[in-house]
Amino acid sequence: MELLLQTLLNGVLAAGVYALVASGLALAVGVVGIVNFAHGEFLMIGAFVSYLLFAARGIDPWIGLGVAAVAVFLVGAIAYYGLIRPVLSAPELNQMLLTFGLSVLLQNLALLLFGADTRVVSPPYQGTTLSLGGLSFGVVPFAAFGLSVLILLGLYWFLGRTRMGFAVRAVAQNRLAPGLLGIETQWVYLLAFGLSAALAGIAGAMLSVMLYASPTVGFAYTLKAFAIVVMAGLGNLRGVLWAALILALAEALVSTYVPGGGGWVEAVFFLVIFGVLIWRSWRRV
Amino acid sequence: MLKLSGVSKTFGGLKAVQGVSLEVRQGEILAVIGPNGAGKSTLLNLISGLLTPDSGSIEFLGADLTRAAPEVRAWRGLGRAFQIVQPFPEMNVRENLMVGALYGKPGTSFGRANEVVDRALELTGLRPKAEHPAGELSLLEDKRLELARALATQPKLLLLDEVMAGLRPAEAQEAVVLVRIIRESGVSVLFIEHLMPVVRALADRVVVMDYGQVIAQGSYAEVAGNTKVREAYLGRNA
Amino acid sequence: MRLVFVILGLVLVFPTLPLGRWQAFTLDTAQFAFIITALALSWDLLARTGQLSLAHGAFFGLGAYAAGISAPQFGTVPALLLGAAVAACSSLLLGLATLRLQGIYFAIATLAFSEVMRTLVLKAGFTGGATGLPVSPAFGGTWALGGYYLAAAVLILSVLTSLGVGRSRLSYAQAASRQGEAVARVLGVPVVRVKLVSFLLSSALAGLAGGVYAMKTLFLSPYDALSLERAVEALVIPIFGGLYTTLGPLLGGLLLVALETWLRLEIKDGYLVVYGLILILAILFMPRGLVELFRARGKAPAKPVREEPRA
Repeated sequence: MELLLQTLLNGVLAAGVYALVASGLALAVGVVGIVNFAHGEFLMIGAFVSYLLFAARGIDPWIGLGVAAVAVFLVGAIAYYGLIRPVLSAPELNQMLLTFGLSVLLQNLALLLFGADTRVVSPPYQGTTLSLGGLSFGVVPFAAFGLSVLILLGLYWFLGRTRMGFAVRAVAQNRLAPGLLGIETQWVYLLAFGLSAALAGIAGAMLSVMLYASPTVGFAYTLKAFAIVVMAGLGNLRGVLWAALILALAEALVSTYVPGGGGWVEAVFFLVIFGVLIWRSWRRV
Repeated sequence: MLKLSGVSKTFGGLKAVQGVSLEVRQGEILAVIGPNGAGKSTLLNLISGLLTPDSGSIEFLGADLTRAAPEVRAWRGLGRAFQIVQPFPEMNVRENLMVGALYGKPGTSFGRANEVVDRALELTGLRPKAEHPAGELSLLEDKRLELARALATQPKLLLLDEVMAGLRPAEAQEAVVLVRIIRESGVSVLFIEHLMPVVRALADRVVVMDYGQVIAQGSYAEVAGNTKVREAYLGRNA
Repeated sequence: MRLVFVILGLVLVFPTLPLGRWQAFTLDTAQFAFIITALALSWDLLARTGQLSLAHGAFFGLGAYAAGISAPQFGTVPALLLGAAVAACSSLLLGLATLRLQGIYFAIATLAFSEVMRTLVLKAGFTGGATGLPVSPAFGGTWALGGYYLAAAVLILSVLTSLGVGRSRLSYAQAASRQGEAVARVLGVPVVRVKLVSFLLSSALAGLAGGVYAMKTLFLSPYDALSLERAVEALVIPIFGGLYTTLGPLLGGLLLVALETWLRLEIKDGYLVVYGLILILAILFMPRGLVELFRARGKAPAKPVREEPRA
């Protein structure tokens, strides 16, 4: 019983970061209409920003996280302006190839710069755990979960309550004629894509403490975010929350209860994608 | 030859088409008219299979096609020209037609398809443009391509969705003659149109739709005199 | 078209050229280039329907493993065919689940598929897992140029398939499905079936190329045979050379693999940077690829004469 509760707790805590990454992806898909295969690489950049600040200046990752958010927002905005914007009206195949190319480029650029090693940001409180009624959890994952929830609440507030957020939602609903984009739409796209990247960047900074920074760290999260977004329905931001929870819980259960589960965790997202796609394609006949 | 019985389609609460029953007879030209938003294009999508009805049935040449895929309907002899012209932009005009000719009627050989394409090009006056990229045509040529491509599928019933919209009167007149020629060759026609002179010139019968329902049908003179039809048009425009 | 056959002719006579002490190296590189070019041609067969496959590395790897494991029992050619069949079967499952949906779903599913295949091969016992799998050379190693001509054969087969499909009625259906799915269906093109057939053909060829690769490298590991690098090569080459053509992937493959061989001598990790860069630049500035340069120089399509509509 305790094992089950502990497993569920681990799952819930992991779901926060998943929801953060996947919400970013859903924003890019829903507003800009671009499936961004480089989403995980934005996360990777965030992780490295946090690592470099910590390693070079001893800057605490909580501050590094803010820097990473801004830096990756800029990377996302530049990527939108220089790469995505020119192909907005190109065939879908070309758009997907472009973001895939960006993913390959960024991942291997990081490999050239930093090598394949994994690097961990280890502030003094990194290993601290709390226990509560027989359950134990790390301070860092718990704080990361709390921050993720706050950021997501902020995102919903922004989209639901502010004028600019309203503009973003309006654009998301009228994405029919990319050739006829007004100037305002362009700004909304830029903002949405930047935000999308920033969410991944923040998650990356968190993972630099909880997991590690490495050139390939983002790739698995691209896939997991895809699984979540596919489960929620392309571009459905609210659905992302429960979808992230389902994926994280499923992974936690597999890792606890399936013999030799560690390696099989990496197959859960695929089963989710495959199952959902089969369900979707045979439902709408 | 085509028979719709009680066909309905709802989009999230909006009843786009409600209980429509109508029939197209062999060799006939039937016009479907109605104010904007009356459900005409939805009706055409239901007939050509891009949408499936929530209820009701669609029968074509004795076969039930209510849930058949669009390609199956094409093979049975339903051809369609779209309102918004959608050429395959990376192909030339001739290749656009070849798609319809090769796949529209099962068992069509390459040689036969070439003949069919030649005839459709001739009929629509597109022969000089045959090798021209389809992405770079004028509006009139686009409309002709749309029609020619539908003809290349060798249909028994041709569905035309406002193919004359945006044409100058002289061009529309030319199109009217073209549709007559098509009918002479044994193809029945169901068309949606806004231009009343065209409807009067072409239609053997007229079906009037409003709010997703059929409110009148009959000859042009009959429906033109119908008070419900007048209200539907005038009420909306006034 | 003529150039394609000139290249194939060169492929056949290449081993007879007097290359002296470079011969072993050039033949080995050429063999690798043929295999990867065949893979790229197979990827293009599916791309013609507008679908982005990121699983061609996985089909290549599945073919390699299936052929490598079964070769001692069945012999070279049957083992290669088995590899192609295994790849085709897995694509059938994947295709049935996803090809009815938007292209985006397909691309995502193929990427996930290729990841999970690597996990499976790592975990399964009969594949040698992470330690790898030794493979015996083609035809028991009795024929020195056997591996070379096997690679040449899979290249020629891919080229002929690509040309054949390009001249068949399927090419019309593929292009129509790519450029306007709904319109294509209304014109009678069975779009889902067209995509599925293209996918089967494409993955079978990729699996075949993988089998030949296994018999060339003589050792398979999930990090090599099933790597994302293969998937990247499979798609960068056609885009660089010219999508939806035969000459494009053929030229692009021979050029890029030569470049890659040189790069790998210079930088060990991260040479894929160049592929990422080529991919981005090609999409932005040269979406029709190298072959467009040839076309522009040869017979430029006559600039359309603007003609007033006769009305």
